[in-house]
Amino acid sequence: MSGLNQKDFEKLALPLLDPLYNFARWMCSDADEARDLVQETFAKALKGLSSFREGTNFRAWMFRILRNTFLTSRTGLERRNTVQESEEGFDDSVVTHDTPELALVRRADTELVQQAITQLPEGFQEVLILADLEELKYQEIADALDIPIGTVMSRLARARGLLRQKIVQMLQTKTISNAGRKIVGAKS
Amino acid sequence: MSCNWREKVELFVDDELQPADQQEVSSHLSGCAECTATVAEQLALKKSVRVAANRYSAPPDLHAAVYRQLHPHARVSPWWKWGMSAVCALLLFTLGYALWPRSSGKDPFVAELVDQHVIALSSPNPVDVVSEDRHTVKPWFQGKIPFTFTPPEVTGTNYKLVGGKLAFAQHNPGAELLYTAGQHKVSLFIFQECAVKQVPGGGSTFNVKSWSENGLQYYLVTDASDAETTQLISLWKDANRS
Repeated sequence: MSGLNQKDFEKLALPLLDPLYNFARWMCSDADEARDLVQETFAKALKGLSSFREGTNFRAWMFRILRNTFLTSRTGLERRNTVQESEEGFDDSVVTHDTPELALVRRADTELVQQAITQLPEGFQEVLILADLEELKYQEIADALDIPIGTVMSRLARARGLLRQKIVQMLQTKTISNAGRKIVGAKS
Repeated sequence: MSCNWREKVELFVDDELQPADQQEVSSHLSGCAECTATVAEQLALKKSVRVAANRYSAPPDLHAAVYRQLHPHARVSPWWKWGMSAVCALLLFTLGYALWPRSSGKDPFVAELVDQHVIALSSPNPVDVVSEDRHTVKPWFQGKIPFTFTPPEVTGTNYKLVGGKLAFAQHNPGAELLYTAGQHKVSLFIFQECAVKQVPGGGSTFNVKSWSENGLQYYLVTDASDAETTQLISLWKDANRS
């Protein structure tokens, strides 16, 4: 049971508006839908303030409400099956964990990493954002997404492996096309 | 990675280990080049994700919509709203007129900061991140401005942090932190030193103080007296001294 009143809620929740909107935009990929989702999240959180357990992470609680609200939306319902399928059909052997590509990762610019994140299966995307951007603990992510902690760990490892692989591939493609352009330029 | 520490190394990077295990992995890293390379690579990847995933900011009308949602009874009659808008506009015009000839002649950069302070005084939402906690206000600026700073702890002093927002002066991004000092409001602006060409010499009816520290230029704008702001300036200087 929480001892939070509306004033406490505002103090804690309003600074989360940007992070929640950012997360919603990654999930919805539509600005209006993300906007509605955030507004609904605030309304639900305020209404259910008594269900917040003091001593737990308020940030994680808000993300959980956002995620649950999303799952009941049309896009969310459509996505439920997709996540399951993408996870079942995921071939771990294609992901390279073994070659540290520090220099390559450092060469990747923000836009390229954003493209690589966009290409991740959605279930992996949200775990990655909650862990690396929002810096939630594994248990908090598990609570927010309503999945076992083991799934959080495995999705995170897979997400990072896949992301690393995509970055390397994209950088290699970029290097080849740049080299091609240089040769064409030199010839002309 | 052939080393059988791999799982622990991943937990180490995510700060998920117990202190004893964390220590154990640290010791292992000092002797294992392979794990050290993995940690460095994973940290670089985490950092790239942190920057890249922070892609969208809530549009200003969403801030307003959420605020209205939280205060459904705060709506006022249109007549009152129009009346207040007219009074605010008149006040801003009068203040602007009073300040413009003196401040603009001296330093246009400071003149812009004084204007922003006046806007903060008259606005019902003077800041975008509302918090008395510096640990909430500081991270809000992460990724929004090209530098970082350390707000000092003001608990136990006469000052109270109200929050912060982005500031722009002559096309340069900066931070504005709003404090109260008793009944007075104090705006503290921070810009990169290289972005500021002239060192201000005051010249407005407001009290403007400026100093630089580690490549950043700080401005304090208020109607409070020197005696009321000295401690806040020294707290900021102490917190940001390297």
